[in-house]
Amino acid sequence: MKIRYLFYLALLAFIVSCKPEVNEFTPSNGSADFKTYVALGNSLTAGYADGALYTSGQSYSWANILGQQLTTVGGQPFVQPVVTSEFGVLPGKRKLGFSVDCLGVTSLGPVLDNGELDPWSNHIDYAVNNMGVPGAKVAHLLAPGYGNAANLQAGLANPYFVKFAASPDISVVAQAMSMSPTFFSLWIGNNDVLGYATSGGAGDVITPTEQFGQYYNMLAQTLVTGGAKGVLANIPSITNAAFFTTIPYNVIAIPDSMQYAVDFLNASYAPYNAAMEQMGKLYRIHFELGPNPMVIMDPGMEGVPAQLQFRQMTSNELALLTLPQDSIKCATWGSGVPVPNQYILTEAEIDNITAATIAFNNIIKQTADVNGLAFVDFNAIMVDISANGLIFDGITFSTKFVTGNLFSLDGIHLTPQGNALVANYFIDAINAQYTAQIPKVSVANYPPIVFP
Amino acid sequence: MRKITLFLLSSLLFSMTMYAGGYQVRLQGNKQNGMGLVGTSLNMGSSSIFYNPGALSLMKDKLHFELGASGIMSNVDFQRAGSNENYQTDNPMSTPFYVYGAGKINDMIAVGVGVYTPYGSTSKWDDDWTGKLLIQNIALKAIFVQPTISFNFNEKFGIGAGFILAMGDVEINKALNYSGDAEANLKGSTTSYGFNIGAFYKASEKLAFGVDYRSEIMMKMEGGDATFTVPSALQTTIPKANKFDAELPLPANLDFSVSYQATEQLLLAFELDWVMWGTYKSLDFTFEEQGALLNSTNPREYKDTFIPRIGAQYSLNDQFQLRAGMYYDQSPTNEKYFTPETVSLNTFAYTLGLSYSPIEKLSIDVSFLQLFGQTAEKEYTPSNFKGTYQTIVYIPGIGVSFKF
Repeated sequence: MKIRYLFYLALLAFIVSCKPEVNEFTPSNGSADFKTYVALGNSLTAGYADGALYTSGQSYSWANILGQQLTTVGGQPFVQPVVTSEFGVLPGKRKLGFSVDCLGVTSLGPVLDNGELDPWSNHIDYAVNNMGVPGAKVAHLLAPGYGNAANLQAGLANPYFVKFAASPDISVVAQAMSMSPTFFSLWIGNNDVLGYATSGGAGDVITPTEQFGQYYNMLAQTLVTGGAKGVLANIPSITNAAFFTTIPYNVIAIPDSMQYAVDFLNASYAPYNAAMEQMGKLYRIHFELGPNPMVIMDPGMEGVPAQLQFRQMTSNELALLTLPQDSIKCATWGSGVPVPNQYILTEAEIDNITAATIAFNNIIKQTADVNGLAFVDFNAIMVDISANGLIFDGITFSTKFVTGNLFSLDGIHLTPQGNALVANYFIDAINAQYTAQIPKVSVANYPPIVFP
Repeated sequence: MRKITLFLLSSLLFSMTMYAGGYQVRLQGNKQNGMGLVGTSLNMGSSSIFYNPGALSLMKDKLHFELGASGIMSNVDFQRAGSNENYQTDNPMSTPFYVYGAGKINDMIAVGVGVYTPYGSTSKWDDDWTGKLLIQNIALKAIFVQPTISFNFNEKFGIGAGFILAMGDVEINKALNYSGDAEANLKGSTTSYGFNIGAFYKASEKLAFGVDYRSEIMMKMEGGDATFTVPSALQTTIPKANKFDAELPLPANLDFSVSYQATEQLLLAFELDWVMWGTYKSLDFTFEEQGALLNSTNPREYKDTFIPRIGAQYSLNDQFQLRAGMYYDQSPTNEKYFTPETVSLNTFAYTLGLSYSPIEKLSIDVSFLQLFGQTAEKEYTPSNFKGTYQTIVYIPGIGVSFKF
């Protein structure tokens, strides 16, 4: 009978050694060859975040995340032009911290994170796959000398490209082609409208559509010459970014105890209102208790003398994140003093941005279709997240500043989790176009915004 | 001796690992375990306290005691949708146990008491796993104490009822999407009541029928301890120490069973268990402080399940009995609300059992179960969390019974 027990135990031991194993997904490259992947683009591709390009932020660039995933389907290691400082190449990095405002109130918000920057002499001599250049427009990727330090003074070079340009007069796209890419991503064009947008329509111009089309096609044609496959992405609806949606148009709040302030402001603007009426214009400035629209400068007011080119903001207009809060709180910006134009996108400026974005995106989509390239519609994705939010792996994403998990502390560039999300959208598009099976990443495994 | 063993058993960590069927654990007798967990139409002595109090007054012996335990070794493998990333649980072995004692007062009445552990769930995922924002660890334990009385009208028909005192506790850990390994820990315990009634009818020497109903027990957790670990800048919004209320239903069961003594050696038994999981709609947490921010409603929308079971026992001789059985346990979970806290898949199981009686008064009962959770892609839509799960569970068990 003892033998029976032994047999029973042996059987048990044998069975117990089995473990469950799910194997539903086999990575595959489909009809694309991912051996040498190069990423071309701007700050989003570079991994810029929190107002800087710094070591850990760069390591979470969506291009790097995608590059790592591609190694499971035949990709060679993805190399980035590594920034060696956690504070970036140029100053301006933000972190969450406490600061005291002009009224003596302490609050939590983005504050400058200063530290030793990446040494300028530190030129990168190895071949890199990530050619995202912060600030680059579509034309810049084609421009010889964009990485030449001698051109910096004249504004014809970009310090970020200077750092990793293989030779002084090479263009970004030429350097990419020197890698003989088998696969590329091209996410460019944001700065062709964003530069205009982030300066409140005051500091830059939108690239003319015809020029954009010409340059964009040249880029795409060059990239596919060697038979490379690739993915294009369009320009998000940037006015939905936290940079433009955080400060409300009616930020001037007058408490109930300050009726005298209302009376004073209304009395002060009475001559303005009278002048407008006389000119047959509909502009009026009026304050009441509670929230009030800011008074802003608007050089676009036609038929109004320059000294009267200010008015109250409308709910269709956007205030930029760069608008100094202390000036509102303590220097009567928005009530006694009109807010300078560079901090505001007026309706007309927004229309220009929207029209350019649509035109550029048509060109991008057409280029993808004509060349049989994968395509990611970030414009639609951003509009959707802005309207409905997005939940993924238990993380709630929205376009809200700081709490929305999507935008880093500069309000435009992505958090690591946002980058992971974007990498997954690229993977979806590539998988669909080339019947590939690139594994997606776990967004929850990437860090959220760091709180003190 | 019995006292010592009892003490040892109760001091064991008796948390249980989920294995199919939500968080119910039906390992309440090693003889029944071997027969596909069929029990309501069997009269195996004092374990009828759980399976069918109606059978207790018809037991053959004047006094009957049983005690035993099982070791649940479970593994879950999870693969994210659209990815080759796999994550496994590292569940500790859990040990549900039972202790029963029953005696006949006269030919018509028997009384007894049972202590057993019919519900529980332990899942231990890696702290950093991909579903950490849904769950990292959960340990749900319930221990039932059931004094029981049984009465028979004649030697064929018996009824019985037991009062259930249920003591439960739960501990949950989940990550929060803040920097610095932010997490929430919820811990609470509660006591509740229920009942167990059954009827047993021995139609002939060969044929027996049983029906048993165990009531739903709502475990209401009030003033449980919630501990939030968040970055210091957020501690004014999310206080570290908080209290929470929550409730978790332990569903009612209605079991129908028939057994047939096919030959002198061979006993066959069938059972259909109706588990009323439909009561589990949602897992809600209400917090004492910052409720507007922290309170949550987490839909579960379980549905009732029916578990068919079949079991057989073969008496080799006076000393040895062999058992085997199988069952199919449907998952009560909802397609839209499948969470990794209770990985409950449609599960097929086979069971084996053996009893050895070195002397007439004593029986040593061993059992072995293997459960196969069907590989299936599941989703928890409120968190947009999707992937494929598979489970394999092994449950060896051992018990002893004494009769006088």
